[in-house]
Amino acid sequence: MSTPSGTPLVRRFLLAVLCLGGIHYTAPWPGPQAVLNTFLVLGLAPGFNSPLAGMAWAAAGGWVLEGTLRLYPHLGGTAFGNMLACLLAFSLLLRWPPHALKPYWGRQAVLVIVHALLIHFSVRFAAGPSAWGTGWLWSLILIPAWATLALRLHPPLHRK
Amino acid sequence: MVALLLGHLLWMALGRGASSRWQHLANLLAAPPRVASARWEGWKAARQDRVADLRHAQTELLTLRAQVTGLLTAREASAPRLAEADEAVRLLGLKRLLPLDFRAARVIVNVRKAPFGGMILDQGEDAGLTPDQGVIAPEGVVGRLWEVGASQSSLLPLDAYNASTGVMLARSRATGVLQGLGPGKAAIRYIGNQEVVQVGEPVFTSGLDRVFPRGLLVGYVSAVQTHDVELHVEVVLAAPLDRVGLVLILPAHPQMEIQPPAGPPQAATGKEAVK
Repeated sequence: MSTPSGTPLVRRFLLAVLCLGGIHYTAPWPGPQAVLNTFLVLGLAPGFNSPLAGMAWAAAGGWVLEGTLRLYPHLGGTAFGNMLACLLAFSLLLRWPPHALKPYWGRQAVLVIVHALLIHFSVRFAAGPSAWGTGWLWSLILIPAWATLALRLHPPLHRK
Repeated sequence: MVALLLGHLLWMALGRGASSRWQHLANLLAAPPRVASARWEGWKAARQDRVADLRHAQTELLTLRAQVTGLLTAREASAPRLAEADEAVRLLGLKRLLPLDFRAARVIVNVRKAPFGGMILDQGEDAGLTPDQGVIAPEGVVGRLWEVGASQSSLLPLDAYNASTGVMLARSRATGVLQGLGPGKAAIRYIGNQEVVQVGEPVFTSGLDRVFPRGLLVGYVSAVQTHDVELHVEVVLAAPLDRVGLVLILPAHPQMEIQPPAGPPQAATGKEAVK
C-alpha cells in the first residue's frame, strides 16, 4: 500500500499522543471521550504512513479507552473494533481521496456508524452484552468539528 | 498487521486475561480525573441543594409576607371593634358595680372642642331619655343630657363653659360647684378659703344637683389658688372626653349614694397645700 498522507508525521504523531491522553483524562465524560477516540481512529490513524502504524494507533486508543473503564473487562474488544474501522477508513482514503468537505463529512458519518457497530459487536463477542451508550451520537454531532480538522491534515490527497 | 489483528482476536476469544496489573495502573492514572470529577459532581450537588434551599426560602418568605399582610389587614379592620369591645367590657363592669338602671349609648358625634359644640348620643326620646340625665363613663363623669330629640340627644360635657355640677372634695368633703373651663378642665367654685385642698386630690360628685348620685369620680385637683374669700380650685377631668365612645346614662334623679373609696388622702407638697 502507498502512503496516503504527506502531512508531517511529527504533527500527526503529536496529535495522536494528545488524543490518547485526552481519551485517558476524559474518562469521567464518556461523550467527549468517544469523540476523541473516533477522531483518532477515523481522522488521524488512517493518515499514517502504513496501515500497520494506523492500526497500532487505533488499537492503542481502544486499549486506553478500555483501561479507563473500571468496571469493564479489558479484553481488547474496543481495540479490535478500532483497528477494523481504521483499516476500512484507510482503504476508503486510499481508493477515494477526499476532494470536498461535505462529501467527506458524509463518509465520516457512515464510518462513525460502522465504527460504533464494529466496537459494539466485538465487545459483545469478547465480554458479552454491553451498553450502546451515546458516544456515537456525540461523534456524529461533532463531525463538522473533528472531520474538518481531519481533512485539513490531508492536503496532499486534495492535490492528488 | 495480520498478526496484530489475529492477536487481538485471539485475546478476545480467550476471554478475560490477567489484567489486574494493567487495571491497577489504569486506575492509578485515572485517579486525578476521578478525583476532579468527584469534586465537580459534589460541587454541583451542593450547588443544587443551595439553589433548592434558596428557592424554598423565597417561597416561604413570600407566603409569610402574604400571611403577615393579611393579618395586618385583619387587625386594622378589627381594631375599632376591639376598642369598642374593650370599652363595652369596662362599661359592663361599671354597670355591675352600680345598682342603677343604666342605659348604654354610643357617642356618634363628638364636636366638643368646636364653639358651642358638644357630643351627640344615639339614644333619644324613643329610649325614654329626658334632659338633665347624668352620663358617665368607666373613667368618670362625662356630663349631662342637654337636649333630647326623637332618636338622638345632645350631651353637655363637664368642661363646657355653661356646665355646672355639684361636687365635693375627697379629703375635706367640702362641696362646691364645678364649672367648665375648656377642653378637659374645670374649676370648683364656692369653696371657702379656710378649706385645706391638696393638688392631686380626687373630686367626686356631691349629689346635691340631683343629676348624679353622690360619690362618682369627676377628676383630680390640678391647681389651687386663693381668691378673696374662696379658693379657685382647678380640676383635670378623669373621663377622656376626646376618646369616649360608649357611655352609660343614669336614670333621672337617682336616689342613691356611692361610697367613695376610703383611704388616706394623697400626700401633698407643702407649697401646693393651701389653707
